[in-house]
Amino acid sequence: MSLDAFLKDESTRNLRSLLKAVILITIAGAAVSSRLFSVIRFESIIHEFDPWFNFRASKYLVQNDFYSFWDWFDDRTWYPLGRVTGGTLYPGLMVTSGIIYHILRFLTFPVDIRNICVMLAPAFSGLTALATYLFTKEMKDDAAGLLAAAFIGIAPGYISRSVAGSYDNEAIAIFLLMFTFYLWIKALKLGSAFWGALCALFYFYMVAAWGGYVFITNMIPLHAFVLVLMGRFSARLYVAYCSWYALGTLASMQIPFVGFLPIRSSEHMAALGVFGLLQIVAFVDYVRSQVPSKQFQSLLRSFIVVAFILSSAALVLLTVSGTIAPWSGRFYSLWDTGYAKIHIPIIASVSEHQPTAWPAFFFDLEMLIWLFPAGVYMCFRTLADEHVFVIIYGIMASYFAGVMVRLMLTLTPVVCVAAAIALSNILDVYTNLEKPDPAVVAAAKAAEEKEEKKSGLLNAARGTVVGIYATGSKLTVVGAFTFYLFLFVLHCTWVTSNAYSSPSVVLASRLPDGSQHIIDDYREAYYWLRKNTPYDAKIMSWWDYGYQIGGMADRTTLVDNNTWNNTHIATVGKAMASREEVSYPILRKHDVDYVLVIFGGLLGYSGDDINKFLWMIRIAEGVWPDEVKEREFFTSRGEYRVDDGATETMKNSLMYKMSYYNYNTLFPAGQAQDRVRGVKLPAVGPTLNTLEEAFTSENWIVRIYKVKDLDNLGRDHASAAAFESGKKKRKSKAGKAKGARKLRIV
Amino acid sequence: MRLIGSVLSLLALTPIVSAAASAAVDKIEKFSNIAKSKSGVIPLTNSLYSEIVGSPRNYTAAVLLTALDTKFGCHLCREFHPEYELLAKSWQAQHKNNDGLFFAMLDFAKGRDTFVKLGLNTAPILMLFPPTVGENADPLHITDPLKFDFSQHQIPAESIARWISQHTPYEPKVVRPFDYTNLVIGISAAAAALTILKLSFNTLKPALYSRNLWSAVSLILILLFTSGHMYNHIRRVPYVANNGKGGIAYIAGGFQNQFGLETQIVAVVYAILAFCAISLAMKVPRIADPTKQKVTVIVWNAVLLCCFSFLLSLFRQKNGGYPFFLPPFW
Repeated sequence: MSLDAFLKDESTRNLRSLLKAVILITIAGAAVSSRLFSVIRFESIIHEFDPWFNFRASKYLVQNDFYSFWDWFDDRTWYPLGRVTGGTLYPGLMVTSGIIYHILRFLTFPVDIRNICVMLAPAFSGLTALATYLFTKEMKDDAAGLLAAAFIGIAPGYISRSVAGSYDNEAIAIFLLMFTFYLWIKALKLGSAFWGALCALFYFYMVAAWGGYVFITNMIPLHAFVLVLMGRFSARLYVAYCSWYALGTLASMQIPFVGFLPIRSSEHMAALGVFGLLQIVAFVDYVRSQVPSKQFQSLLRSFIVVAFILSSAALVLLTVSGTIAPWSGRFYSLWDTGYAKIHIPIIASVSEHQPTAWPAFFFDLEMLIWLFPAGVYMCFRTLADEHVFVIIYGIMASYFAGVMVRLMLTLTPVVCVAAAIALSNILDVYTNLEKPDPAVVAAAKAAEEKEEKKSGLLNAARGTVVGIYATGSKLTVVGAFTFYLFLFVLHCTWVTSNAYSSPSVVLASRLPDGSQHIIDDYREAYYWLRKNTPYDAKIMSWWDYGYQIGGMADRTTLVDNNTWNNTHIATVGKAMASREEVSYPILRKHDVDYVLVIFGGLLGYSGDDINKFLWMIRIAEGVWPDEVKEREFFTSRGEYRVDDGATETMKNSLMYKMSYYNYNTLFPAGQAQDRVRGVKLPAVGPTLNTLEEAFTSENWIVRIYKVKDLDNLGRDHASAAAFESGKKKRKSKAGKAKGARKLRIV
Repeated sequence: MRLIGSVLSLLALTPIVSAAASAAVDKIEKFSNIAKSKSGVIPLTNSLYSEIVGSPRNYTAAVLLTALDTKFGCHLCREFHPEYELLAKSWQAQHKNNDGLFFAMLDFAKGRDTFVKLGLNTAPILMLFPPTVGENADPLHITDPLKFDFSQHQIPAESIARWISQHTPYEPKVVRPFDYTNLVIGISAAAAALTILKLSFNTLKPALYSRNLWSAVSLILILLFTSGHMYNHIRRVPYVANNGKGGIAYIAGGFQNQFGLETQIVAVVYAILAFCAISLAMKVPRIADPTKQKVTVIVWNAVLLCCFSFLLSLFRQKNGGYPFFLPPFW
């Protein structure tokens, strides 16, 4: 029995379904287990920065009920402003883990919410594999679907945001993205309002889960628009689009953070415009079918064009007059790539908003990256409605991924789909066990003789398929690609293990003997804060650490990673970048009790605050251009220095002082070294008058300072300190024992 | 002699001191007239310069010291000049009598002495002289004007306007003249394009409907983007660089870095690899001659292997710790 007959035979249907189910489950298992490196190496811990907020919000949700979560006003962040957290977050992620938590509790599984949060992303990656299978199945067939599922399961581009502990919106959003797209294709193919409504439902879930929902909001209308342009308007398209748009938009407006944006902001106007266009096209289509006159038909066609131009003009007018909000900075910077750097330094300062160099593409996708164009080409060969979608998605997503590193995430699914289509086409040809049919060969030869020979890239698919003659050819190709696939798996494992499995809260290093050494300064310091400071203490730090302080130390912060108030962040930046005399009043006015800085000089940890300092200065300068000047932090030769040659402004800034305070006592006199910047520090370290050192972690990564209270005698801190040291000098002259002084410090 | 001289100078001084207030008023009138006749920017000479910056001043003066002549090769000066004029013109249009803010300019060609006197060897320099008398007087900057930092700000008129409004009570608004020529050109170009499209639609139609054309465009776009072209565009990376040994470096060191040529090499490698995959999947099974087919399969497989191996070796150059490779390149 031939393989083809076996695959299509009715009697083996159950067997095939079982096989498919087993394969999919295995893929899901591989997807989950490849994401567990960090749990096995370290422990079940939440990673990085944003996940700590999501985790804190999830805890709040399971401790309180849903409505108090919805109305949550958080007075422990953005002190003294507070944050209307319930109305300014995407609740999808927290609600998902809340529901899982309650279901498991109901089933009497005593699970901690933390473990649910840690494992949510791997679990959803299994579902993503399933959604990708379904999506690709609509494009080609089961085989391609399974390949795509396997690819997305282990592709590092997706793993990077979905390892265990990476409890971020993207963790569930990619599943929702792929599933919404699958439902859209299904609705379009069947012209079914039911599938359209399902698509709207999952679109709603996506809106609730991730700000990247705008990608769907624009992809689906773009697809519909291109189909109309290609003359492929059909009742199916009309039904699918209208049911998705009407229901999806209404549903998305239920999320408080989104609210009326779908009718008021430019990001959503494409969807509305295509909705209107489809109504006109449908009307014209109907009238045309009733009126046979040719002149009338061309009149109608120009009517569509005029309506399109008029509505675009109206859109421009409304945007200019301010009724419709223009593109928000975050999205606008995708088109005008220089925009963010000039106008919104806070967006430009984030490393994942940088453009992508080519090694990153290869690192995240390996062989898929060159199978991707081949897959897109094969979509062009068949070019059904759904293939148009893959093509548009491919082009748009590769543009976005090129502009911003983090959008590699939206590119990965379509690369997996296209690569699976390409590879399964190859395997289809070379795993076919049959020899070419002589009748077909004869016909093909005859046709070949008749036709002019035209070869080249663009008409590779001309002529009839005869098949492969030699078993050797089949073995070579199948063998080679099997080998490449093995290499792909090795690559993915290596990348995941080496690059994407570090929690960044806990750092790992290797000792000379090869054993692992864990650097746990962050948690040490946050735990110190939790145990040694009053519950209502206010901690000032740069915004990067706001979520972690809130999550791990449970203390009030001034700014955090939800950078909603640029002025407030600039205030913190100003306090860090100014002299003590300027900073101290700012600290007092904001009731700051402790200041936390990250310092990597001892360990050579490059992500520290001195390296981020320029962004603090820039952001502060944006608000107070007279008081903070970036220029003054550079030497006259334009160097950013921290050693002897540093500028006075630099040396007197609070950040510099806090970073290097007492640092030279670690070294023999004059030998102090900064191992990040690789420079020797001045022999005399900075003095601090208004702050006192409260805690420094084991490897000096986290340093915490307590803000001194006002002087009892009303002196300023500098003169009080001078007086103190003067007294000390006199006393030590009098022969006072050193022990007494030590006691006073303790 | 000496006595006479001092008497003379005393005589000469007395009316000036007594007329200081009226002189200031005269100065305002004078410069206001010049500004009006020159529609904004007051062109200075050495003497006019000392007059406009000399105290007492009951007005604010922005003075641009520049070198416009092409022989000085001051690119920034020439770039900045129209913006400055635009700002002055906008101010002039909104404030008929200048309201105490003047925009002046001293070109090196006309004011070499002033440049020498001030010891300047760079241009352009934009200085802001606040008033020395009156309610807005700024005692800190009587002889020592504020200087605009060209390295920190953007050049456009708006940023100068912002700078001025930060330091003075004035808030100049820049009114960019609406560019009708651009509009007309745009509209006529669009009309022309539409006409051409309409006229040649029947010839263009096959191309417009050509699947091959569209697929070629799409593939080229995808290859451009996935080989890091946007990075080149945003970061303005060099095409190739000097490798420090007198040769040319094609490959940039480091994972986060690349050269223009490097991305083109990568794009070509991707394209060849994709083409191999397409040929193997679509072209080979359509070859009716068995021997030819066999040879083609072997050739494409070899090309695929070589290119993939080359790609991996390229990647190993970028990422030192990468452990995987394929023969023949490693």
